[in-house]
Amino acid sequence: MIQDPDTVHVRYMVDDVGAAVSFYTTQLGFTLLTNFEPAFADVKRGNLRLLLSGPSSSAGRPMPDGRQPGPGGWNRLHLLVDDIEAEVARLHGAGVRFRNDVIAGPGGQQILLEDPSGNPIELFQPAGRWRSAPATAATAGPDGETTP
Amino acid sequence: MPADPLDALRLPIVPVEPRPELAAALLRRLQQVDQSERRTTPTIRYFVHDMAAAIEFYCQHLGFEEEVRSGSVFAMLYRGDLRLLLSVPGTHRGGHALPDGTLPTPGGWNRILIQVADLDSTVESLRRVGVQFRDDRPAGIGVRHVLLEDPSGNPIELFEPAGGYHERSR
Repeated sequence: MIQDPDTVHVRYMVDDVGAAVSFYTTQLGFTLLTNFEPAFADVKRGNLRLLLSGPSSSAGRPMPDGRQPGPGGWNRLHLLVDDIEAEVARLHGAGVRFRNDVIAGPGGQQILLEDPSGNPIELFQPAGRWRSAPATAATAGPDGETTP
Repeated sequence: MPADPLDALRLPIVPVEPRPELAAALLRRLQQVDQSERRTTPTIRYFVHDMAAAIEFYCQHLGFEEEVRSGSVFAMLYRGDLRLLLSVPGTHRGGHALPDGTLPTPGGWNRILIQVADLDSTVESLRRVGVQFRDDRPAGIGVRHVLLEDPSGNPIELFEPAGGYHERSR
């Protein structure tokens, strides 16, 4: 068993595992770890591991009260980019759907796009140099932006 | 004159390869190394209705640490390498209203995963303090996992590696 304690795991429900793998690896810089289409695949970006679970995966089974898991909602990955305008232009060109336009604030710019199943992904370009280490309270605004 | 004993420690002088192609190749390689080793903190944003209740829940029950709080509408928590942004939806700044007025809501099925050593005892102790579970029947392939909810109804998955669990090293 190989385990990396630094890995952060996030699960997204998807309608089509193959389309999701293609989207995340082609458009957002993830690399494929394992692919058990049509049930499940996982991809990674840095030390983020994104689990993509289809309807036939163990995570796709109904809850005890009958509720059926599915894609969508508003909770999302927050991906840092160096040049949000360039990323948006590139993704627009590839036919990716967006929920809004770029919103600019004092801490940076952000936009919300969707994967092929309609799951949200937030791109964020900080105004200053982003620090991956915890920032101090005095430097963070209400959008989660931090500046040095 | 006797040889300087330090000469034995000095590195030989090697002439620098003068070709510009080498410099360009070297630069490319350095840039690639820089990119592949660049790491950002994995970050996810959850929407919550009650910031104080959310912070208390994540910090007291799930081992998060409060890093930043901005009024009652935004907080940044850390748990190891995971950064969790909590936002209260609304028309205020940082409320993430869409241009057509649509407001984000908590809930859905996309979630962070937290690895635990003993799933059954963790579920038991969380249940004892009143945590709500969407599904407390451990299931999975290579792992056992359950799904609980924060006070706003956002899902959080707990998992325990089982036989056959494999994670590729970085």
